[in-house]
Amino acid sequence: MTNKIEIKNLTVNYVERGVNNTALDGVSLTVKEGQFISIVGSSGCGKSTLLSVLEGLLPPSEGEALIDGVPITGPGPERGVVFQQYSLFPWMTARANVLFGIRQAKRGISHKDARLLADEYLGKVGLLDAAGRYPSRLSGGMQQRVAIARALAMDSDILLMDEPFGAVDAKNRTILQELLLELWQNEAERKTVVFITHDLDEAIFLSDRIILLTDSPGRVYRDIKVDFPRPRYRDELMGSLIYDDFRRELFADFFGDKNRAAENDGVII
Amino acid sequence: MSTFNAELTPKRRFLRVVHLLFLAFLAIQALAPAYSKIRGKTDLLVADAPLYAIIFIAAIELALILVSIFAKKNSALTLFADLASVVYILFIAWTLATAKFNVLREQLFPPPGIILRQAVQDARPLLGHISASLLLIVKGYFLAAIIAIPAGLAFGSSERFGTAATMVSKFIGSIPPVVYIPYGIALLPAFKTVSAMVIFLASFWPILGGTMSGVMLIDKPIINSARVLGVPKISMLWHVTLHAALPQILLGAQQALTVSFILLTSAEMIAAKSGLGFYVKNYSDLGNYTRTIVGVLVIGVVISLVFFAFNKLQKFLLRWK
Repeated sequence: MTNKIEIKNLTVNYVERGVNNTALDGVSLTVKEGQFISIVGSSGCGKSTLLSVLEGLLPPSEGEALIDGVPITGPGPERGVVFQQYSLFPWMTARANVLFGIRQAKRGISHKDARLLADEYLGKVGLLDAAGRYPSRLSGGMQQRVAIARALAMDSDILLMDEPFGAVDAKNRTILQELLLELWQNEAERKTVVFITHDLDEAIFLSDRIILLTDSPGRVYRDIKVDFPRPRYRDELMGSLIYDDFRRELFADFFGDKNRAAENDGVII
Repeated sequence: MSTFNAELTPKRRFLRVVHLLFLAFLAIQALAPAYSKIRGKTDLLVADAPLYAIIFIAAIELALILVSIFAKKNSALTLFADLASVVYILFIAWTLATAKFNVLREQLFPPPGIILRQAVQDARPLLGHISASLLLIVKGYFLAAIIAIPAGLAFGSSERFGTAATMVSKFIGSIPPVVYIPYGIALLPAFKTVSAMVIFLASFWPILGGTMSGVMLIDKPIINSARVLGVPKISMLWHVTLHAALPQILLGAQQALTVSFILLTSAEMIAAKSGLGFYVKNYSDLGNYTRTIVGVLVIGVVISLVFFAFNKLQKFLLRWK
């Protein structure tokens, strides 16, 4: 498989209240076409900054980020984005939001085709009945469904997701994870997905690969392959022993120093 | 409070004090008219005047009965009944104080029937004055909106420019626009142009300020989600910025409309030969206070209707909120 995304020695500095800060420090990363990777780190570790660079909203201070071998110079509809909140325009109905995305990605598409496409994807996320509603009349989970429908309907090669389920309640988060996985797996050509989260279980369930970032400044701390076969079924996966071992190891890695400190405390007692 | 939202029983529908007030209004009509204290022509002797008041009040009562029959919510019916009560009480007190006991100065306080009669008689010229006034508003206000909204969108899009422009618009906007009138008269030959210009100046700054602050207050994530879709610049202004700033734009536009009417009537009272302000000023100069009151009330009705329409439009445009 070819390299879809290449990040080479990426550093991002920013100035806040006259103080220089480094959000990302020398991050190098390659994502293969059709791969689903999660970037995990605690709040403020620069994982959203990394995604902003891929979105084309933030220029790198040093190093470069390439898509299909071409440096990113700005946003583009070949990258679909789902944010944690405010992905949708509140003055457009669910359908109008999806239609608007389709029109940006496929200029010149006929009104009829665009509408069919919008309704197809609203149907896929189970929201055809709510197509005429404004986002303010939709729950947080439903809004994210619409955002996903829009990103998929735009048929971009890459899907960038910035903690998309972070503001959704636990039950709906589970449902949305399964829906995302199902939609991604059933695409004729699987999209390359970069998924930001601080939820390790979510990362394991969804991804082919997990990148752990260190805290400020963000550096790649671990690059872990997740080999569980697909399609994955939550109950089956989470009930298995391999999963338990994998999870324990990952958590130990993630909480690294803190755990060791706790063990030492135990020894003293 | 608890009955305000209560279910509508037949009792709540039809047994209301407001109907007693209606009967009271009819009853006082039977009282003998007061003697006039002035010689010659007097309003108190116009025989058909009470009829206008009775027809007017009966029309309200009829509307109230229709609402009583068809209202779905108790709160809506109660509100309508309360408003009718206010009108009834006002008419009763006004009739008693003028036509029946003549305790006010009758040159200045005509009975309600006389005023309604005058309004009906003057209906045609009044319509002419209303359209003259509204035409000026349309010219000045819409011209201001057409220029101020795009300008505000452009200025607000740049933080540096928007901040400076906001301060300038606050300074100029703080000047009561009435003071432009004398200068405008010196500047421009025709009254209508002056009024339109003054209304334009008065509306321009609130709309510009509202638009700029609306643009500058747009949540960053909204802009980002538009940028990542690759929305082109012009399309961004039209599909995203304008909509996101709309609540603030409408706030500015509403403020501008209020100021426009104040200025319109002021300008018409100073220098016009038509319009509602002219009607009021002209007849008070001539000592015809019946028509002065008619003019004042018609101004109230016209402005209320314009704002009613504006609020409906605002609700429609912001239906997504």
